[in-house]
Amino acid sequence: MPRSDAPGSRPTLLSSCALATTAAEARFRISRPDTSIRDARVIAVDEPAAVLVRAAAAARAWRGGHFLVFDRVASGPGHGDGPADAVLRTPDGAVTLLSAELEGADLTVMVATAAARLEATSVIGDACAARMIMSAGLVVAAEGLAGPVVSALRPNAMVLVVLDSGDDVPEILTALRV
Amino acid sequence: MLKTEINDLLTQTGPGTPMGEMFRQYWIPALLASELPENDCPPVRVKLLSERLIAIRDSEGRYGLMDEFCAHRGVSLWFGRNEESGLRCAYHGWKYDVTGQCIEIPSEPDERHSVLCAKVKLTSYPLVKIGEVLWTYMGDPKDIPDLPEWEFALVPEGQSYTSKRWQECNWLQALEGGIDSSHVSWLHSDGLRSDPLFKGAQGNKYNLADRKVFFEVVESDGGLLIGARRNAEEGHYYWRITPWVMPAFTMIPPRGDHPVHGHFWIPIDDENCWVFTYDYHPVRQLTERELQAMKDGFGVHNEFVPGTFRPLQNKDNDYMMDREAQKRGDTYSGVKGISMQDASLQESMGPIVDRTKERLVSTDSGIILARRKLWRTLEALRDEGTKPPGVNPEHQRVRSVAIVLPADESFAESCRDALTVRPGERHASV
Repeated sequence: MPRSDAPGSRPTLLSSCALATTAAEARFRISRPDTSIRDARVIAVDEPAAVLVRAAAAARAWRGGHFLVFDRVASGPGHGDGPADAVLRTPDGAVTLLSAELEGADLTVMVATAAARLEATSVIGDACAARMIMSAGLVVAAEGLAGPVVSALRPNAMVLVVLDSGDDVPEILTALRV
Repeated sequence: MLKTEINDLLTQTGPGTPMGEMFRQYWIPALLASELPENDCPPVRVKLLSERLIAIRDSEGRYGLMDEFCAHRGVSLWFGRNEESGLRCAYHGWKYDVTGQCIEIPSEPDERHSVLCAKVKLTSYPLVKIGEVLWTYMGDPKDIPDLPEWEFALVPEGQSYTSKRWQECNWLQALEGGIDSSHVSWLHSDGLRSDPLFKGAQGNKYNLADRKVFFEVVESDGGLLIGARRNAEEGHYYWRITPWVMPAFTMIPPRGDHPVHGHFWIPIDDENCWVFTYDYHPVRQLTERELQAMKDGFGVHNEFVPGTFRPLQNKDNDYMMDREAQKRGDTYSGVKGISMQDASLQESMGPIVDRTKERLVSTDSGIILARRKLWRTLEALRDEGTKPPGVNPEHQRVRSVAIVLPADESFAESCRDALTVRPGERHASV
């Protein structure tokens, strides 16, 4: 197996080799803040989940993510000839459309409980798929009760996380830079 | 993304730190049993959780793990003589038994000798051989838990093999590699066709045919179950399910009838960790060929700098990066071997990665949830004295699974039995 110091290989400089990963060298990593903002949508798909989402929205200052609650499937086609649209509500009760919310979004997190409205998951999932927006699902349910919701969400979310408690929802959203 | 103070909380494991206290609730792997191969063999220096210790096996075969330094003048006992049921300091002859109790101070007059000895005891921890590993518990003796019951350590002799290697970064970023199933389709994409410990399994065809992986993460009694799903035959998914048991155990899903393997990620200090890598088969002996492949560094094992636990591929030689092999597609990153492919990238992050700068995505949910569980658990331990998950041997009786399921089935419910140790029964694997 060739080594980096084998004849004919390029010279390895101190700051260009794996040794540069010492604590001292790590200080020279660029520390300017990342200026790009993730545009996330957090959508509760049932009433108990809406309580969690409203609480999360009020819990801390977020990085521009929108917190929403699924209200009902909207009549008529949504995105062009694509999937159906949905009516959503903001935490303060204002009405908005799923299609409008997904303009420019790059992540959608559906929050569901065992009471999840299954039509909500498929409408949101289809709308995200049509726009190639990453979709994730957080299911908060006691052991043994998550199965039907997880099965319903599975075709509509690329990642599913099943939680025992809603307490972790804000931390997971924070980690995702919502 | 983590705030600096949370990153510090999860990565610092020295005495008195919250995560250090949490690690001190568990039996953890300390050494390979082969490091103390016979009675009165040379002592071994070992650093764990930022404590410098020395391990011995005395004349009666008893194991001991104690403070590395003599109570008298602070000399390393590694230079000592392991003889006649104790370790004698080479400087002035003070002698200690396996519990760290001083049993001889040759310079003291006979009448004072026993009184002074009784007052000198080095900090020590129990050291117990289970399987091919020596385990220690570094917490409060009053709270010592039941002995560990990991299946790889309990199967009959000849069914299990364990190696250990030094990894030059914090334990948490190494552990997170074991939880992060999404990197496998990229970094390790070369191994499935060629590695003797992976090739030939039916499940490999699903891995190779479908690189778009979907993830489901479910909380378990001991930690998490991370399910990675790929398309299989019509109406079915191929699931690879990785258990993480707190704080530091992961188990890779099996392939066909190959032995199943995984890791413990044990802090040496805050900038280094031991990676204990086990490989075992629940119902049969490892073959000569399998054993030799493991010793030769295939599968999830690695080659070593002779006489050390430092990998042959390491920082000093740029992990023997082979750009031609990378270009040809023999390896994805140019680094040979699964364990060193992981270690090279994890060490490249620096000794303790700055998690305030990372950009996690939803496929990192396993990592996000694991951190959250660690954080929540150590707060419960610190504030309420709650015993953490993974201490109870019941949480340790886990298996990883590779299985094909109908599309509408929940892996956590369908595989409840398969995810649990069933002595004498084969693991669920395709």
